[in-house]
Amino acid sequence: MGLISKLIGIALAAVGFVLLFFGMNDTSTMSYVYSFLGLLVMAIGFALLTAGKPKEEKLPPPTITEIRCNNCDFKEIRDFKKGDYILKTVEEACPKCQTGMTIEGVYMIREEPKKKYNV
Amino acid sequence: MCTARACDKPMSCHILLLMIFENVEIEAIKRIQNAEDLIFMQIGATDEFSGIIQIAFFAFMMLFMLYGAKFQLWQFLKQIEVGLAEMKRMFVKSRQTAIETFKEYGHSEEEVAKELDQFMDYFTIMPVDLDPAGILKRLDHLLDVRRDRFQEFVADLAPESSGSMNQNLENTLEVTQVLGLIYRIVRHFYILGKKTGSQIMIMQIHMLMPELLRLAKAYFDAIGAFSQGKPIGDGIGPLVITKFAREFGATPESYTHEISKEVGYYTVETEGRTVYALRATGPGGTVGKPGFGVKNLMEKHGKKISRIITIDAALKFEGEELGRVAEGTGAAIGDPGPEKFAIEQAATEYGIGIEAIVIKEDEATAVGVMDKKILDTVPEVIERIKSVILKRTNPGESVILAGIGNTIGIGL
Ligand SMILES: [Zn+2]
Repeated sequence: MGLISKLIGIALAAVGFVLLFFGMNDTSTMSYVYSFLGLLVMAIGFALLTAGKPKEEKLPPPTITEIRCNNCDFKEIRDFKKGDYILKTVEEACPKCQTGMTIEGVYMIREEPKKKYNV
Repeated sequence: MCTARACDKPMSCHILLLMIFENVEIEAIKRIQNAEDLIFMQIGATDEFSGIIQIAFFAFMMLFMLYGAKFQLWQFLKQIEVGLAEMKRMFVKSRQTAIETFKEYGHSEEEVAKELDQFMDYFTIMPVDLDPAGILKRLDHLLDVRRDRFQEFVADLAPESSGSMNQNLENTLEVTQVLGLIYRIVRHFYILGKKTGSQIMIMQIHMLMPELLRLAKAYFDAIGAFSQGKPIGDGIGPLVITKFAREFGATPESYTHEISKEVGYYTVETEGRTVYALRATGPGGTVGKPGFGVKNLMEKHGKKISRIITIDAALKFEGEELGRVAEGTGAAIGDPGPEKFAIEQAATEYGIGIEAIVIKEDEATAVGVMDKKILDTVPEVIERIKSVILKRTNPGESVILAGIGNTIGIGL
């Protein structure tokens, strides 16, 4: 949808430009009509070109809970559940070595900003 | 203009030309005279419409000269209106979140909404600074009273909640209040600007709008974290403290509670030095009063202490890397004043070094859910702490290590 409207925008802007140019070079009374029409069509074209899609609300990235075994290198990553906090001792034991496990992290991985400033 | 020259065209046809090619006008006019049917840069040619065009052009110029500023103000107002609508949306949504969080703890939705709205514009009057003597004491007292009121409100409105959830509810309430406050202030200037047409009212709020929106957005994104008890970026200070202390064998049980309000400490030994690792008590959301904690520890252990190190999240500049660790001198604590003063005072009194290690974050990460990049800085910060202790203290001495920040979602 976005691409099509952009293409139509470009086409309309071009048509408008040609009309305006024609109107400017025409010596008859109709030149006003052409010029005006040209401007109008061009404006619609540019409006279509520049109009962004309505910003869709982006959901925040999920909050992740990272659980690690106190003994071995077992690591479990799951969605955050209410009541989780960093350094909480979890009830279930490590499936590998049956010792206790601790929540080592509750975090979110945010998107890197797309725009980089080269300064 | 045009008629002054030997030219048989009506004025309008050349106005444009004259304006654009002022310094080559003679050349241009000559050329046009020579080729009369070449008519560029003009709309229409030699008919009665050119008069109308000329008048329209003139009217347009006059209109903008006289009403240009009005038009711009109107544009500003429209832009403020868009921002204001966004702020209102954020406020209403966060209020809804607060209501939904509170109603799980004993009262019906209607009761919660009514009470919450009443409490929404709770304010604190800053102490008078015309006579600054003792202002920090007075400010501290006011902040205490304010805190008590908040706790009382939460206890009343959520009787079935307890302990750390109470603190999280308090934080939720505060965030909603901040959003409401921003919305009300912007609305005030918007309406006032509209009423009076005053440029300064409209322009100042228009200029501040992007910053205010950014701030509001940061708090709005944070409300989810506070209502569910997730750790936030600001909690990195306390987290570093506990991770550091655990490395040297501390446990939740070895934590000494209440050296000051909602603040306690671990006592650990490292490289022959005794480290008092101080932080607010979690995992409920509180910042406690770590400044007074440091002061009390100083009074307790006196001359044995040879250095104070504060760990905190600091606002980064745009362009700086998120999670960059920086060192400096001074007390890294962002309270309104009394606690920073207490730390500085204690350090000066005993003549000991005071230094800060900060983790750079932006507003959104500081009040929003802990970012992975921030969490990953913990080992680096601990390394830096160790090197500070090794380099600038001697065996047998004691060190105060204070982690400043909100302890929401960060266990002992
Ligand atoms: Zn294991």
